[in-house]
Amino acid sequence: MNNSLRRKLEATFKDIRIAIPEDGRITVTAENCSILAILRFLKDAGFEHLALISAVDYIEDNEFELCYILTCYMQGRDFEGKDLHIILKTRISREDPNFQTAIGIYPNAEPYEREIHELFGIKFEEHPRLTPLLLERKYEIPPFRKDFDTRKYVNDLFDNIPPVEIEEK
Amino acid sequence: MRELELYFGPQHLGMVGNFSITLKVEGDRILEAAANPGYLHRGFEKLMEYRTWIQNFPMVCRINVVEPDSMEMVYAMAVEKLAQIEVPERAHFVRSIYLELARVGSHLFGLWAYANMLGFDTVAQWAMYHRDLILDLFEELTGGRVYHIYIWPGGVRRDFPPGFKDKIVNTLHSIGACVPDYDSTFFNNRLFYERARSIGQLTQEQAKQWGATGQTLRATGMPYDVRKVEPYAAYDKVDWDVPVREDGDAYSRVWVIRDEMIESVHMIFKLLDVMPEGSVYNRIPNPFKWKIPKGQAYVRCESSRGELGLYMVSNGGDKPYRVHFRTPSYPNGLIILEKLLKNASIADVGNIMISLYVVAPEIDR
Repeated sequence: MNNSLRRKLEATFKDIRIAIPEDGRITVTAENCSILAILRFLKDAGFEHLALISAVDYIEDNEFELCYILTCYMQGRDFEGKDLHIILKTRISREDPNFQTAIGIYPNAEPYEREIHELFGIKFEEHPRLTPLLLERKYEIPPFRKDFDTRKYVNDLFDNIPPVEIEEK
Repeated sequence: MRELELYFGPQHLGMVGNFSITLKVEGDRILEAAANPGYLHRGFEKLMEYRTWIQNFPMVCRINVVEPDSMEMVYAMAVEKLAQIEVPERAHFVRSIYLELARVGSHLFGLWAYANMLGFDTVAQWAMYHRDLILDLFEELTGGRVYHIYIWPGGVRRDFPPGFKDKIVNTLHSIGACVPDYDSTFFNNRLFYERARSIGQLTQEQAKQWGATGQTLRATGMPYDVRKVEPYAAYDKVDWDVPVREDGDAYSRVWVIRDEMIESVHMIFKLLDVMPEGSVYNRIPNPFKWKIPKGQAYVRCESSRGELGLYMVSNGGDKPYRVHFRTPSYPNGLIILEKLLKNASIADVGNIMISLYVVAPEIDR
């Protein structure tokens, strides 16, 4: 399954790099523009389960990496071997973090993209609901970026709370 | 009739944990539901980027309050994979037994929540008591009742104390002896059937589309279990079945949970029988100076709620560069719950939510 899938992927998409380590977690690195097409292709190839969308902030390269983890639900009732994972990665610029939404292909992408939007400030175009998910308030720098200074945030927030004054009777 | 906005939770009797749903209702029909998580957001994934590989252990287990053990497991698996640490054979068995005990405990807790919500107070108290017996086992094994920090990269912290095997067997037998009581009061009870049948029903196609795993998926007829699909620890060393139901409603989900508990108990007995002797721990490098090579890993295990994954990136330092948990409650609570609540009645909100097995701390992290 590994090799035929690899051949098909490489024949269909030109600008991708595929690495197959021993543990069978196939890593596909691709350009921004072809991500949705690859997702559609992989879904049709049996990778029906979008397990996770994650983002990593590579601040030194001035880039974010988006990472889609896809697995198969079993076909019918038999269990296939171990080669069940695809990790699809792409880099986007940190300056203008915009990307397309994958909801059209995987409906369960919605909360993952919402979370990434909130925590990393990556905007997903045409996402129907980029409203706050987990956080309580707005931040100048989205808090999961590497340049978010947690110590400064704690000092700014908690040092400004006036002490409780106890009235003496 | 007039449309109303109704806030369900976080302080509500029908709600387990700090989670709220904003409902748009007309009469007692729900027109639209919006899940509203975040009450337990502690920013663990960010905090973990500032702590060394070992310092993170007390944190990972607190992500899921109800079942901290599979969290430890998945974190240890990721560290082992990145640092390429081998685990001794016996440790695999100890881990499996420990995780299955945790699964039974967690399911009993879930049964408590569900029975309590339906008004079966007796069953709820039994379940809580039996969970406590399992916590006693954990206390003896690890020193802690709820948070154990027992699984460790390279194995487990310590071996079973003398006589512990018999204690596991005795405890599980005394819980197992009550299964007929549970069945006659709860699982075969007409009231439970009437109350849970066709509530929150979803098809297999919908479950797949919305990213369901665990009971939610298995109740729709698909025997998808990470322990089978991609065996870890010692799950491929013994024979066991994946309980499945076909209807996809709350009734099936709760029955899958019941069958799974019984299957876990049988699995523990089998694992205890074939458990090899030997060490349970491979030495890891000095934790204060431990640097893990650059790389990325996605590992997963089957927690009591479904597929629990962890995507971890190391940049060659002494701390993780990025940690992201894929928790099973995430799709359950944020997508499936919203979809299933549409057109349901207000009285069924707790029923649907608890049968989906949503744990709020897991979503918020």
